[in-house]
Amino acid sequence: MPPLLRLILWRLGTSLIVLIGVSMLIFAIARVIPGDPARIALGANATAEQVEALRARLNLDEPIVVQYGIFLRDLARGDLGVSLYTNRPVTADIAQFLPATMELIVVAGLMMVLIGLPLGALAARYRNSWVDSTIRVISLLGVSAPSFVWAVILMLLFAYFLPIFPIAGRISEAMAVPRVTGFMLIDTLLAGRFDAFRNAAAHLALPAFALALSGIGQAARLTRANMIETYDKPYIEMAQSYGFSERKIARSYAFRPSLIPSLTIIGLDFAAMLGNAFLVEAVFAWPGLSRYGVEVILRKDLNGIVGTVLVISALFLIVNMIIDILLAYINPRIRHSTRPS
Amino acid sequence: MTTLHGSLRAALFCATALGVTAPLAASAESVLRLDEVPVGQLDPGKASDYADSILMFNAYDTLVLPVQGGPGMAPHLARAWEADGDSWIFHLRDDVTFHSGNPMTAHDVVFSLERMQALGQGLSYLFGVVDSAEAIDDHTVRFNLSEANSPFVSALVRLPIIDRALVMENLADGDDEMGDWGEAFLAANAAGTGAYTVSAHNPQEETMFLRNEDYFLGVPDAAPDRVRLRYGLEAATVRTLIATNEHDISSQWLPPEVLRAIGNAGGQFLTETSAGAFYVKMNTTKAPLDDVNCRRALSAAFDYGAIMQIIAIDEGVAQGTPSTGAIPVGMLGANDPDAILERDMDAARAHLAECAHDPADFTLEIAWTAEVPVQERFSLMMQSNFAELGFNTEIRRVPWAVFTDLATSAETAPHISQIFANAVTGDPDTLLYGQFHSSAAGTWQSPEHLADDEVDRLLDEARRAEAEDERAALYAQLNDRLMEIAPTIFAFDRVSVFGASNRVAAPALSDPDAAFGLDGMGFSFRLMDMTD
Repeated sequence: MPPLLRLILWRLGTSLIVLIGVSMLIFAIARVIPGDPARIALGANATAEQVEALRARLNLDEPIVVQYGIFLRDLARGDLGVSLYTNRPVTADIAQFLPATMELIVVAGLMMVLIGLPLGALAARYRNSWVDSTIRVISLLGVSAPSFVWAVILMLLFAYFLPIFPIAGRISEAMAVPRVTGFMLIDTLLAGRFDAFRNAAAHLALPAFALALSGIGQAARLTRANMIETYDKPYIEMAQSYGFSERKIARSYAFRPSLIPSLTIIGLDFAAMLGNAFLVEAVFAWPGLSRYGVEVILRKDLNGIVGTVLVISALFLIVNMIIDILLAYINPRIRHSTRPS
Repeated sequence: MTTLHGSLRAALFCATALGVTAPLAASAESVLRLDEVPVGQLDPGKASDYADSILMFNAYDTLVLPVQGGPGMAPHLARAWEADGDSWIFHLRDDVTFHSGNPMTAHDVVFSLERMQALGQGLSYLFGVVDSAEAIDDHTVRFNLSEANSPFVSALVRLPIIDRALVMENLADGDDEMGDWGEAFLAANAAGTGAYTVSAHNPQEETMFLRNEDYFLGVPDAAPDRVRLRYGLEAATVRTLIATNEHDISSQWLPPEVLRAIGNAGGQFLTETSAGAFYVKMNTTKAPLDDVNCRRALSAAFDYGAIMQIIAIDEGVAQGTPSTGAIPVGMLGANDPDAILERDMDAARAHLAECAHDPADFTLEIAWTAEVPVQERFSLMMQSNFAELGFNTEIRRVPWAVFTDLATSAETAPHISQIFANAVTGDPDTLLYGQFHSSAAGTWQSPEHLADDEVDRLLDEARRAEAEDERAALYAQLNDRLMEIAPTIFAFDRVSVFGASNRVAAPALSDPDAAFGLDGMGFSFRLMDMTD
């Protein structure tokens, strides 16, 4: 069996076990958070009889093991139950809100890669110059301030004082297009509306950049450090002594080995954004899954909590698997050293 | 360096290319934009929160409406009504159609009541007293009550009339012969007669309304053509949106400093006096608060003036008005508006001298709701107030979900807790019965665990009394009794304050003579004027 395929199968197997573990854990944790979900769902004015009736409907009177069994049975049918928060099937909520968050973090992830890595490489290439110093200051700022602070600052700067970008939402009302995939950039293109595409991209720019800034700083700093370390390796000296151009050395010999730790960190950042996007989504009124996830936790919506955590966990595992495969592809030593033990 | 310059050029190009598309396209139709906390519950059978009320009062109609600027109920879908013993007969208008085009009849009224009772959610408890409803003919309906109940008519403001035929066409599978009673359908669609139709609804994101040109009362030209109700906007976002004329009315949940900033930037304040108040609850079963004199001492030591300063937003605008007693000003049985409560430390010390407990022997637990940060400031104020009497206090932050659990038992209910409560129908019964009747003790509304025969008697009699004068007299007696036994500190009468742009005029939220005195009804869009 090819090493890469073996790696993929191995990661799929372990991911399934992790998901089952996560489902058991979150199922139990959700039920020990203080507060009665039926009482919270029915509101402050509900009577004791109403609360009891809902508890019975939700099987909350059953032992937790029985409840978990019912959950697994329903899950096998693709049913995650009804959200007490939105009163809709959790699967419908996830289908509604996940694309918005995915679109946001994919664009933010691309920004991390397309801005962070080149900035790091540039800083390493011109180390100890003003270019390096500028990039290091920018990176430090990106890493040190949380994304919601950047969200508010960017909104004030580029939507209020300089009204270049829109303040909130995914697309202007007048530009709305029919929902096909839920990814606004794709749906506008499918509708053949390039004006709407530009409008959606404008709405996406600030929240994605705010979310990506920390990752951009981190990627730049890591790439710079790794490249500088690589520049001290004997094979770089040898390339220089052969008279290769600085650009060729940077691109072909220094950058690629430095990419491996940066990619690992970007992968983790990318997955972490799924959970961290909440505040950015809140500031820019972005109707995404992260916001939904926090709301269902606050309202102790058991089905919503379990469904959201499972989806985010699955995405986390998928992203990590993709990063592992990429690393194995880039570095044959990783590919060939993989053993399912 | 070429790479750096290239990147900068590319970034600037992208920003310019995207940015030029940012402004909204100009539109001739008027659009009202406002926000509320999520989630927007569109199903009127489950509606209970503020956002739900806004949805309900615009997409649906009710048999009666509160009289604007005064007490009592006015005809709406019902032309007239009369009581016949324990029965109430309502004569309906014959010129009302649903958004679907179906005529509104007595059968729809019966269906709406039965659906609400079957679901058992939202404010359905208001109709527990109704045994049955029957359509006498297409435009006459009778409600049979289990006992005489004067607040019933006002409860009807919470019974939106649903298009029976449309719901029956969209029934999904459920537990009984009525399937799911249209739960799935009504969670995403409106089936009412209201002045606005719902064109899109996402409970976490926004609801879009369109003017109903066939509304039976007509919708004035100045009212908005479209309404965009967004959910869950952050305070900073709302402030920026209003400043850039992209938003019109904020929710009431903004921090006072953000509301103040909106006002300072040239915006206006809209207010709604919603027959509610802020209450400081004392557990009457726990020493030293099981002694009425200790409770009276704390009530007298409470700084009613300082709390008004905490909730002040701007000159003449605050999130409350001074309290005059147990019943908010404007409701049946309320005291004279000038008779405001004031701090009286001499009286407090005199009451304390009569108390059987020594304050030094106790540490009072003051709980505040984690989700309402201003309550922490109230707690600190009380800590300072009560320390002057020698009471040690401990401030405890309690999440709402935990508080609702703690309140259920006299042993676990804190010494002191804080709640906002309001009359969901505008009638004092829905404000006071759940708080002070002994049969309702041990909920979030009644952590006092009060058991007082005189209070119970007055509440029950006020429920049965038919004449408004008689009810007013009973509630006035109740007001006096509650002040006498002091289970609660009646801190201030609640006022909801909204920051708004100047392109909207809302008389029901700015003119006391046009106010409904019912949470959310001031947001009847048909009564608003868009000024540009």
